Amino acid sequence: MFSYLIRRLLYAIPILFGVMLITFLLFFVVQPPYARARAILGEKARPAQVQQWLHDHGYDKPTYLNTKPGQHLFDSLFVNQMKRLITFDFGVSDKTSLPIAKTFTDGVIPSLCLTLPAFVIGFIMAVTLSLYQVFIRYSALDRFGVFLCVALMSIPPMIYMFVGQRVLAMQLNYFPAYGFDLRGWQTAKFVLLPVTLMIVMYLGNDVRLYRTIFLEEITQDYVRTALAKGVPQSRVLFVHVLKNGMISLITLVVAHLPFLIMGSLLLENFFGIPGLGNALIHAIQTGDAAMTNALVYLGALFYLAGLMLTDICYAFADPRIRLS
Amino acid sequence: MPSRRPPLLRACALLLLSLTATFFAGCGNDPNLQPEHEKRADGSPWQVRYSYMPDDPRSLDPQFAYDQMSRRLLEPVVDTLLEYHPFKTDPYEVMPSLLASMPERVKNPDGTETYVCQLKRGILFHNDPCFPNGKGRELTVQDVEYGWKRMVDPKVECPALSSLQDYLVGFGEAYETAKKADALDYSKPLKCFEIVDDQTFKVHLLKPYPQIIYWMAMHFMSPVAHEAVEYYDGKEHPDANGKMVLRPAFKWHPVGTGAFQLVEYEPASRARLVRNPNYHTVVFPSDGYPPDRADFLKQFAGMPVPLVDEIQVTIFREQTPIPVLFNQGYLDSMGVSKDAFNRVVTTAQELTPEYKKRGVALEKDLDVSTFFISLNMEDPVIGTNKKLRQALSCSYDGQSYVDIFWNGVSPVAQQLMPPGIFGYDKNYQNPYGYDLEKAKRLLAEAGYPGGIDSKTGRRLELNMEASANGSEERQMTEFVQKGFEALGIKVNVVENTFAELLRKEDAGKFQILEGTGWGADYPDPENFYMLLNSRNFPPEGKNVSRYKNPEFDKLFDKMATMDNSPERLQIVNHLRDMIGEDCPQIFTFHKAFFTTINPWAQRTSTNMLLEGAFKYQQVDPVMRAKLQREWNRTPKWPPFVLVLLIAGAAGYAIRLNRKRNV
Amino acid sequence: MIESLQHFFANWITQDVMVVAFFAAAIALLVRGSRNERWQRAWKFMKGDRLGLVAGVLIIGYLIIGGLDLLKISPTTSVFDWLANAVVGLQDEPTKASYSAPFATHTFSTAKPEPLQFPGRHFLGTTQIGKDTFIQALKGSSTALLLGGLTSLIYLPLGILLGISAGYYRGWVDDAIQYIYSTIMAIPDILFLIAFIMVFGKGVGTMSWALALTSWISLCRLLRGETMRLTERQFISAARALGQSHWNIITRHLLPNVMHLVLINFVLGFSGVVLTEAILSYLGVGTPIGTASWGQMIDGARGELSREPVVWWNVSAATVALFGLVLSLNLFADSLRRAFDPKRS
Repeated sequence: MFSYLIRRLLYAIPILFGVMLITFLLFFVVQPPYARARAILGEKARPAQVQQWLHDHGYDKPTYLNTKPGQHLFDSLFVNQMKRLITFDFGVSDKTSLPIAKTFTDGVIPSLCLTLPAFVIGFIMAVTLSLYQVFIRYSALDRFGVFLCVALMSIPPMIYMFVGQRVLAMQLNYFPAYGFDLRGWQTAKFVLLPVTLMIVMYLGNDVRLYRTIFLEEITQDYVRTALAKGVPQSRVLFVHVLKNGMISLITLVVAHLPFLIMGSLLLENFFGIPGLGNALIHAIQTGDAAMTNALVYLGALFYLAGLMLTDICYAFADPRIRLS
Repeated sequence: MPSRRPPLLRACALLLLSLTATFFAGCGNDPNLQPEHEKRADGSPWQVRYSYMPDDPRSLDPQFAYDQMSRRLLEPVVDTLLEYHPFKTDPYEVMPSLLASMPERVKNPDGTETYVCQLKRGILFHNDPCFPNGKGRELTVQDVEYGWKRMVDPKVECPALSSLQDYLVGFGEAYETAKKADALDYSKPLKCFEIVDDQTFKVHLLKPYPQIIYWMAMHFMSPVAHEAVEYYDGKEHPDANGKMVLRPAFKWHPVGTGAFQLVEYEPASRARLVRNPNYHTVVFPSDGYPPDRADFLKQFAGMPVPLVDEIQVTIFREQTPIPVLFNQGYLDSMGVSKDAFNRVVTTAQELTPEYKKRGVALEKDLDVSTFFISLNMEDPVIGTNKKLRQALSCSYDGQSYVDIFWNGVSPVAQQLMPPGIFGYDKNYQNPYGYDLEKAKRLLAEAGYPGGIDSKTGRRLELNMEASANGSEERQMTEFVQKGFEALGIKVNVVENTFAELLRKEDAGKFQILEGTGWGADYPDPENFYMLLNSRNFPPEGKNVSRYKNPEFDKLFDKMATMDNSPERLQIVNHLRDMIGEDCPQIFTFHKAFFTTINPWAQRTSTNMLLEGAFKYQQVDPVMRAKLQREWNRTPKWPPFVLVLLIAGAAGYAIRLNRKRNV
Repeated sequence: MIESLQHFFANWITQDVMVVAFFAAAIALLVRGSRNERWQRAWKFMKGDRLGLVAGVLIIGYLIIGGLDLLKISPTTSVFDWLANAVVGLQDEPTKASYSAPFATHTFSTAKPEPLQFPGRHFLGTTQIGKDTFIQALKGSSTALLLGGLTSLIYLPLGILLGISAGYYRGWVDDAIQYIYSTIMAIPDILFLIAFIMVFGKGVGTMSWALALTSWISLCRLLRGETMRLTERQFISAARALGQSHWNIITRHLLPNVMHLVLINFVLGFSGVVLTEAILSYLGVGTPIGTASWGQMIDGARGELSREPVVWWNVSAATVALFGLVLSLNLFADSLRRAFDPKRS
């Protein structure tokens, strides 16, 4: 187990390197820093101003290797960027000059306020509904349920947001149409609507997925045995199948857990929640390379952590699996 | 057996019920924060204005900030030497702010000029930790000098430098010296800035430049306390208990002498300004009121400003909620967007009855700006063919454009200068305004009858660069494209990100560039016609069309340093006619918009050159609270229906469950 | 060189030829595939699946409309435009008009209603610049088809090639391919798409590349697993023992046995492309100006829905059209899966 984890950790290094390479290529090679600097400083900025800005951010260095005489060979854009990410010394944002680490820590909590309740409630709802569908499997209602799930998945997510805001915030005045506040109970009123919408957005997909997992589970021998013993079907389903199906479910879900931190791009942007999703999308749209690269790198770290968590969960849930 | 009902199902039902319960609890839909205080020190109610802006500021450094959003937050915090009168707009007028009186202009015999300026006494900086004991100290002439030195500091890179170095003595050289030494020596005095005594300073000009007083009304020339710049360095420092605390950079923590202090700025979320208790630089003006609101404004004459205690500014990156929140009473005023227009304004450009009944007021404002489509004068096809440019200009249907996208509010631009500026003639008509027949004739004369190149027999194809910003701009671009194509030519639209657009602008690599415009820095013809001066090619300047005409340049240089006079008017008209004939730009519109104002927040400033006139704003909080309650009633039945539906579904499911179990 | 190439591809005749060729190739592939015994069995099964058949018919309808709109008869008009204008009599309003409600005779404005040139003919109203919403909604399928088609052209070969090689050769080939897709997977799809399009510039071409670069992964992983499973089977070892070349084994034995997975993945991928286009348009990095796309129509709803009275027809028409296609594709994919693998469901 221990050696497995070590190997997994070592494997993560080239992947992180690859991620850094991709973001570097996109934001420093394909789109040169000069163009971004112009866009960030605004159209009234003068070239001298742009040069100064590039110099302040260290973007006027050679791209890969510094071959200028008298300079350190590795004092280049690429190496410096790598160094910054690896040492978690992210520096400041290109657009706002605020420390990226602060943007990150400030953004995590609003993001979690949105994604965590949505995830927990959504998971419980999806498990309940899918179990019920398995219970009445292949009946007309079940088929209708599957159809409904597919239909829910086929609606673009923006439509949920538009309709939700229009009806619940504009017509019925139940929720604030926009905004966020982290002070005490105030938070609840701001996140209620986005959380509800987030649950609905993912419900179709999740129910359909969990249903197939549970359907596979009930072909197992222990289910037949239990039924033959005369245990009522509802009990078999909601106790035995749920318990065993949960193992595959949780391993499936654990991989997504780290992503909760990154928030929801669309919802945060639309409802004005100052979370990480919002920060990311704004960073990309304004050409804030320092911020984008740092956040994507962190996202990749979380993703890899999720993968490892999944493996560990497997090992704990099923003692037959030995990680080596 | 009910007790054997699955626990998960029960948990789920409970959760749903509690969710519905929150509906009833009426958590409210007010998105605004709790104000800083409930009451003022004297027990009267604490007054808050709820404002908004559509984007984040770029920087709050007075010597660097140049865009509208930054100015909106900066101007309430940082006082300027002079400031625009909030009511006088035709013509615009500046009045003393930090200065005790208007600067005294001295014409020297050698053709140079000197302005003698005197500061007001007893003006204090904000109370801020950067000062000893956290108490703001008194403003001195040295602070003004420090601010001016920052203008030539290469580390600051002040955008005003390029305009000012032609006029201020030794300004450009100071910058060059500092650039070479890689740092500005702050101990060396500026040649243009002479300190006479504690309250008096002289400004030396190389040649006459009457526009200098407008620059003094901008925050580039504002005083800065060196303590603030040194204290707010964006690094971590130990506090009194030895804990490391991050201080924001100076550009996110402006310290000034203004009517408000910036107490909170959350990027992408909000900013909050709270009254500066030390403020007494200016009072509410007692003259210049527009006649129709003089009765209302009289009551404030001579009153100390700011009139309100706190300003909450929400940053909306998403525009949709703005009309919603205005209608719910959570925003005090709103610029009427195209989408909200039909609901608010009738054919006669008055308020609709629905809004009249609410007591809402409607204001029409004209921004000091002009928008145009730039044609590249260096392009081999367009630049050399005057008739072709004239044809394009004639094919652009300005009135329909304004009707569709600006609800007919914005006037169609006939020339480069907007109304309110010296030399603007409202009877002047663009000689190549919309006339499709004429456009087709001109196109034929240009060598493309019916849009076909008479030499090669191929259809004329032009590329138009547009920015890629949302559905609205997309539709505007499509409109322009449709208009040009009515000539029989083909126009390919290329969508660009802002960065790409600027790159093409800098390199002059485009044919037609859609959506360019200019908002006045100050109300003078020089500020507009410099857009076509050949010294101002991008990236140094904003002559996007790359128009180069020696005669134009000569006349412009002459006009630039003149005082307003009949002779100057003649030159301005001449410049206008030259541009009208050459068509380096197709004039589109001067931006104007309607603003609706909720009944408790009547308008107290009408000058569009003032970006953050928050200090003159007033509010009636009692009326607001009452109307907010009235406008936000929630129907109680939908949650009931929801609960019933869920209960019904659950009941049905459980019944089915029983049947199966049997 | 590049310019003349661009000129060649921008030519409408070239485009027509390519569209016809693409459709012909797709039909030929299906005909060839139907000779496979497994596909024949699946077809027999599908005939009894009513929902799947309805979805299939709907998809064919969208394909026909989209195809007709991609076939140009002049640089600016397509066969579809010609049919709509000349044959059915539906037309866009000229420049001056703006929004108009369904069947309206005047533009939609309480302030200044203007008479329409074609009153009562726009049965789903008109857009902001007076285009007929019904036509726009139908034309949206051509953008979907174009994007989906181009994306698939790039990602299907990529996915098949890399997936089968990884599963067949194993060893370092497998490691390398796994490394590439794990790296791309570590960046959330939507971020990768926005960044890619922002940096390379908007356009159908860039979008297809971006979408292809994110969608080959699922196909690759699927085929890798399936190939690994298949290579354990006897007929492959037999082929190996007989000394058949790798290429022969891959094309003769492996490829036909995974083609049904490719088909299912292709159908699902198509629905993914359509949905993603809508999201990207919403985020401002969608299809370029002038293309009729559902994403852009839905994006317009931000302003339209806060209007009073509401302009609902554009967003509704686009949503229904998009929903119809995506739902059909998803249902059809489900039905295919059932048909090819009746045991599992």
